[in-house]
Amino acid sequence: MPTQDIAISLTDVDKRFGGLRAVKNVSMEVRAGERVSMIGTNGAGKSTLFNLIAGVFPVTAGSVSMFGSVVTKQNTAKRARNGLARTFQTSRLFEQLTAEENVFIALGGRGLGVRSILPARRIPAKWHRVAELLETVGLVSEGTRRVADLSHGEQRQLELAMALAADPKILMLDEPAAGFSPAERQQLVAMLTALPADITLLLIEHDMDIALQVADRVIVMHDGSKILEGTPDEIRASQVVREIYLGGGHA
Amino acid sequence: MSTSISSTSTTPRWKAWVSAQNIVVAVVLVLAIIFPLVVDRPRFWLPNIGVRTLWMGTIAMSLVFLNKYVGLLSLAQMTFAGICSYGIGYFSVTMGWPIIPSIVLSLGIGSFAGWLTALIAVRTKAIYFMMITLALAQVFYSWASQAIEVTNARRGIAPIPRPDFGFINLNDITTFYYFALVLAVIAYVIFRYTATSQFGLAIQGIKDSPERMSALGYNVNRYRTAALTLAAFVASIGGVILVFDRNQVDPSFVSLDSTLNILVVAVVGGIGSLGGVFIGGLVFALLQNFAQDFTDRYMTLTGLVFIGVLLFFPAGLVGLGPMIRRLFSKRAKASASSESSETLDAERRAGTHNKKGQHK
Ligand SMILES: Nc1ncnc2c1ncn2[C@@H]1O[C@H](COP(=O)(O)OP(=O)(O)O)[C@@H](O)[C@H]1O
Ligand SMILES: [Mg+2]
Repeated sequence: MPTQDIAISLTDVDKRFGGLRAVKNVSMEVRAGERVSMIGTNGAGKSTLFNLIAGVFPVTAGSVSMFGSVVTKQNTAKRARNGLARTFQTSRLFEQLTAEENVFIALGGRGLGVRSILPARRIPAKWHRVAELLETVGLVSEGTRRVADLSHGEQRQLELAMALAADPKILMLDEPAAGFSPAERQQLVAMLTALPADITLLLIEHDMDIALQVADRVIVMHDGSKILEGTPDEIRASQVVREIYLGGGHA
Repeated sequence: MSTSISSTSTTPRWKAWVSAQNIVVAVVLVLAIIFPLVVDRPRFWLPNIGVRTLWMGTIAMSLVFLNKYVGLLSLAQMTFAGICSYGIGYFSVTMGWPIIPSIVLSLGIGSFAGWLTALIAVRTKAIYFMMITLALAQVFYSWASQAIEVTNARRGIAPIPRPDFGFINLNDITTFYYFALVLAVIAYVIFRYTATSQFGLAIQGIKDSPERMSALGYNVNRYRTAALTLAAFVASIGGVILVFDRNQVDPSFVSLDSTLNILVVAVVGGIGSLGGVFIGGLVFALLQNFAQDFTDRYMTLTGLVFIGVLLFFPAGLVGLGPMIRRLFSKRAKASASSESSETLDAERRAGTHNKKGQHK
């Protein structure tokens, strides 16, 4: 298989925080357009793995590739400009700005050109796109509210809109359904299944229903290691997963 | 998702705030314009209070801009202004160049100093950024105190005459005051405009969450660098007014005292308000001029005013407006409800009004 078809490839990736080995020798591949869920108990190293893929901090050992080129040394912004978008497990929004301004900023994540001194309000095409994105995540009537005044669930939806804003090739969502009502969970699943087929989706989700419903393939992390990998049906049937989730440690 | 009710009520309030702010700005501007016509002794008031307020305000505004929109506290703003002042003195007096190229080049050098500072300091945050800018300011101060060929060391460069551009002659104090006012307004407009640009939104995003901005593909450090360079440019505009106000330049321009004065002006005016700095500047200039009349410890008095403002008006003196408005709206609400219900006051005294608060 040509390497361009591999959206993300990790080879023997390790991450230490001081004495703590948060990610242990993980190798994995995600094909372009594939939908992969990552599950595992709290502290299993899922978010850390996300941060390594996004380039938030360097790997201790191993290498990371995107679409066939090694990006291990690339910074976050560069990886983002190459098509990688992600949400954060705890929302990192621009609290002092409105919801629509947040999405507007998310649209413009390219260089610092002459155009950036144009007045933000005078770019109707961009604001039109902002409204579309807010519509997609069900926030269209909240556009002019300040983020600090939004509910937790609304902030999570806004995170999604911002990740989608850049028309990413790879979308990484870290527990997007946390704090969602059942209705909002339904909406989320509908939205994720409706994503364009060429988007690669990497999803961390505590809600097993969502994780298994959306995925082509599921990766199970435990204590920093990838312990299992399979189709949703295989994961449902797995004795190991049942033990991990029922046997304790499910926070 | 039970939100549509509150969303309609927030928008108009935001709009009202903006227009209220603009009304205040307009009123202050009109007062500043008629200032030379209404004061009894223009030869005292215009230079000592008017012009001084304008350059202190302009420099402090660049500090407030960085703090409010980028989340960086820079203690090098006075230094950028001083570098521009030194440039004007060096080119126009020491080198004997014509004044306009000297001013333009010095504005460029002041901004360049900001860019250089950014190269060193932009990766650091919060207290470290403040310490580095302070250290750089001190480095420049000690260099300026010694570099006899360039800065003429402690004696500085003097006299630096006010220019006569032909169509305007800055030797006339009223003309000079209006010249300073125009520069200060330009500086204010630059910042207000920048805040509404795409660049302005981006730097505010960086202030709130640099991690998120990186994740969106923004080069955070380049934006910070650009913002610091812009702020140094505006501080340099303040330096132009300053050097012609004093007719000289010497190391005291960039001393620790001067740096802290700018910080005091910014905090007294309101560290979150671009225009408020001019109120801070005015209070400071008044203190400097009149405090000597009744105490020879005017620095102590300045310190007390500073502490008083921090204690009672944490948002600075511009915070006074909203405070008064809140007071009035509370009164208005109280009287409106006491008209509608006589018993409310009794309830309030009995403490039952807490329940009412919970309903919203
Ligand atoms: N920035 C960090 N610094 C130090 N330790 C961290 C950091 N991020 C995560 N960890 C630790 O790494 C381990 C894995 O955490 P995380 O990746 O957040 O797990 P998960 O997302 O699977 O719940 C945890 O023990 C956590 O405390
Ligand atoms: Mg996590």
